Amino acid sequence: MKKIAFFLGKGGVGKTTLSSATAYYLSREGRKTLIVSLDPAHNLGDVFEKKLSNKRTTLSSNLDGMEVDLQEWIGRYLKDSRDEIQATYRYNTTINLDSYINIMKYTPGTEEYAVLWAIEHVVKEHGDKYDRIIFDTPPTALTLRFLAMPTISMLWVRELLDMRQKVLKKRQTILNLNPEAHVIRGASKVEEDRIYGKLSGIQTRLSWLHQLFKNDSYLTVIINPDTLSLAEAIRIRHELEKLDVHIDSVCFNKAPSDGACGEEVKQSFHRFPIFTSVYVPTGLKTPEDLVKVEIPELVEDMERS
Amino acid sequence: MKDKLSLGKLWEKFWETTVQVHRDKATGMLEFELNELENLFVVLIFGSFIGFPSPPAAMAMELLPYLEDELRIMVSRADLAQDPLGAIMGMLNVD
Repeated sequence: MKKIAFFLGKGGVGKTTLSSATAYYLSREGRKTLIVSLDPAHNLGDVFEKKLSNKRTTLSSNLDGMEVDLQEWIGRYLKDSRDEIQATYRYNTTINLDSYINIMKYTPGTEEYAVLWAIEHVVKEHGDKYDRIIFDTPPTALTLRFLAMPTISMLWVRELLDMRQKVLKKRQTILNLNPEAHVIRGASKVEEDRIYGKLSGIQTRLSWLHQLFKNDSYLTVIINPDTLSLAEAIRIRHELEKLDVHIDSVCFNKAPSDGACGEEVKQSFHRFPIFTSVYVPTGLKTPEDLVKVEIPELVEDMERS
Repeated sequence: MKDKLSLGKLWEKFWETTVQVHRDKATGMLEFELNELENLFVVLIFGSFIGFPSPPAAMAMELLPYLEDELRIMVSRADLAQDPLGAIMGMLNVD
């Protein structure tokens, strides 16, 4: 059984609805479940008619929910770095760095990074307390980028570690020949070098996350009966395959009761289990209405995974 | 007796200095190389400043607290960039 599940798909296909319905269903089956929204434009709270925040809130028996506040995560992260710089740098160097730290909030890539650390935090902190953790993801663009982040960053970390090793080796050589050489600052051994240590730390965390996405998560892509969401689902599948991450199933949501469009989805995803949720004409008005969404087969497949 | 002792010490001192001078000469080139390497390392991390492809900025942020000396090298290396030939000639003791 994979403990963690991600719901992916184009904006508006019903990621929040299906993930909420799944979480609700699981909690009624007696599984202790946590549902986490990673979408910067949260609407998980609207589904359950409760105000959610970065802290876990009880939604019903066996079901807790939280909305990850990315801005708060970025802020916390930058503050840590700033504190550490103030602790390690000589006073006069820090003055110019403040503006650099301030623009970091708006630097591309920071948001994806924050999502990663938020996922890591949720799984490591709360993983033991729940049978299931369901992630409702942001729209495709951000989701694909944060799923790709570990793989891409690991390439960088590997290169930097390699380079760092060369620096340390050279320092060691010089130190052996001339113990008083004036260029020797800091450590010359891998175990003593803080940069090497930090890089290895990042590497460990990134590969843990990659493993989490690759092996320990149930990924399902949601499709609606329209061409655009199908095209996007196919794109998601291909992009993820490039990262060696594979989706587990496909949800055909808001399906017309006459089964139209089902064939196209079947053709494109013939290797994958497809779960159909028929459109609910009366709409979902209260959290209890979530039982109207047909997801038992999806949950069954999750339990088997 | 007293004279002999101080002469011995003087010789020792002289020998030490000579050895150190030769050591410095021997490692000078290596030190230059190390400086270049450290400069390259920090340029790789903060490459986005000068239009190089660089790792995710947030990762640079995590390393930043430990890179004070390297940043210093990068800045002084940038000064050196005004006169790279001079720097190399100096390195090779060409006057």
